[in-house]
Amino acid sequence: MKNSAVIIIAIAILAISFFVFTSTPLFIRGYTVAKTGLGEISGPLLRIAGKPADGIRYVFQNYFNLVGTKKENTDLRKKLDAYLLEYQRLSELEQENKRLKAILGLMEQRPKTMVAAHVVGEDVKNWFRCLIIDKGRSSGLAPKMPVITPKGLVGQVVECDRWVTKVMVINDTNSSVDVYVEGRNSRGILEGTGQNPLKLKYIRKNDEIEVGDKLITSGKDGIYPKGLATGIVTTINRNKPGIFAEVEVVPFNNFTRLEEVLIIKK
Amino acid sequence: MTRVALYLAIGLVLTILECSLFSFLPTEFFKPDLGIPFVIYTAFFLNPFAALATSTIVGLMQEVLSCTPAGSMLFTKVSIFIIALFMKNKLYIDSRYSFSLACSGAVLVESFLFLTISLVIQGESRDIGNVMFYAVPNAIVTGFLSLLVFSLIESLNVKYFDRH
Repeated sequence: MKNSAVIIIAIAILAISFFVFTSTPLFIRGYTVAKTGLGEISGPLLRIAGKPADGIRYVFQNYFNLVGTKKENTDLRKKLDAYLLEYQRLSELEQENKRLKAILGLMEQRPKTMVAAHVVGEDVKNWFRCLIIDKGRSSGLAPKMPVITPKGLVGQVVECDRWVTKVMVINDTNSSVDVYVEGRNSRGILEGTGQNPLKLKYIRKNDEIEVGDKLITSGKDGIYPKGLATGIVTTINRNKPGIFAEVEVVPFNNFTRLEEVLIIKK
Repeated sequence: MTRVALYLAIGLVLTILECSLFSFLPTEFFKPDLGIPFVIYTAFFLNPFAALATSTIVGLMQEVLSCTPAGSMLFTKVSIFIIALFMKNKLYIDSRYSFSLACSGAVLVESFLFLTISLVIQGESRDIGNVMFYAVPNAIVTGFLSLLVFSLIESLNVKYFDRH
């Protein structure tokens, strides 16, 4: 009796999630309320949990390499380690300073239209490429806003909670960016593959494009403004059937190592 | 009730930590589903209402922390709960190894369910390659981690909930 009641409720939940998945407006509204409620709880937790991540990342990247060194001259070693750590911390700070200066430079160009944010997490599934940043609706963010770094394009905002925002990165399989090949008369669609090299589609075999060419956004997709650097062409295969060439592009940003990003408010 | 709340809290905290604190680890190739062990454990060893609540909340939380389409994670998690409920009398989980195997299987089923609903409902085929590519590595790493989760839960049971 108890089991059958549970199964009935479970089937009802399944039906609701099915209708939400099909984007039925009636169900979407209620579902969004439930999800937002959970987001209100998890958002601050994410921001708190994201704080020590920088420290751990720093230890993981810098200190673990030193752990395996010999135990001889322990005192001297400890001192040396301390100096090394201090040095690495300083060079880390220098790097951060450079990054922040670059971000500040970009923000000064368009002070009222940009918001700086920290990356506090990434997609809990590896089926999609998504970043979570520590600014939300309260900072004026909204879906479809472009996200960049001084190096180039990162992606676009897809979902905003009060505390945090989800950013779909350009190597997500659902991402498409209209791009130009800089300095040439070629235009294509840069599509995410879920892996690192992206695919540049709809480039004809006789189009002007070469390995090493830089891609910039065309501004014609209505989401990304014109002129943002996106990536560099690494391979071109014209020996395949059809009228289009197969072009692979490596993005300028390493999306797994991003710490700060800028969101362009429209 | 306290027990269910505690396990659910552990599951949610682990999921949040996976999303934020451990995001620096190079886990793009294999990402464990830390919600699955809790869904399977509650479905097999605790009362069905608790298991349903766990699968619903874990599903919703994973949607909050990922770019998956709305409804998809809730659908897959509740489906896994229903499957686990039906398998309860057929599949005998007597050790952490069989538990780990069940968790790995559940991750594979989850990937398959996600692909099915994406294809059937939305006609989406762009994610197929990605989901299929990561299904097996995700299942393996979830299986390994569920060994630890099972040990953790069992030790909590022995210490605080009188299970010997």
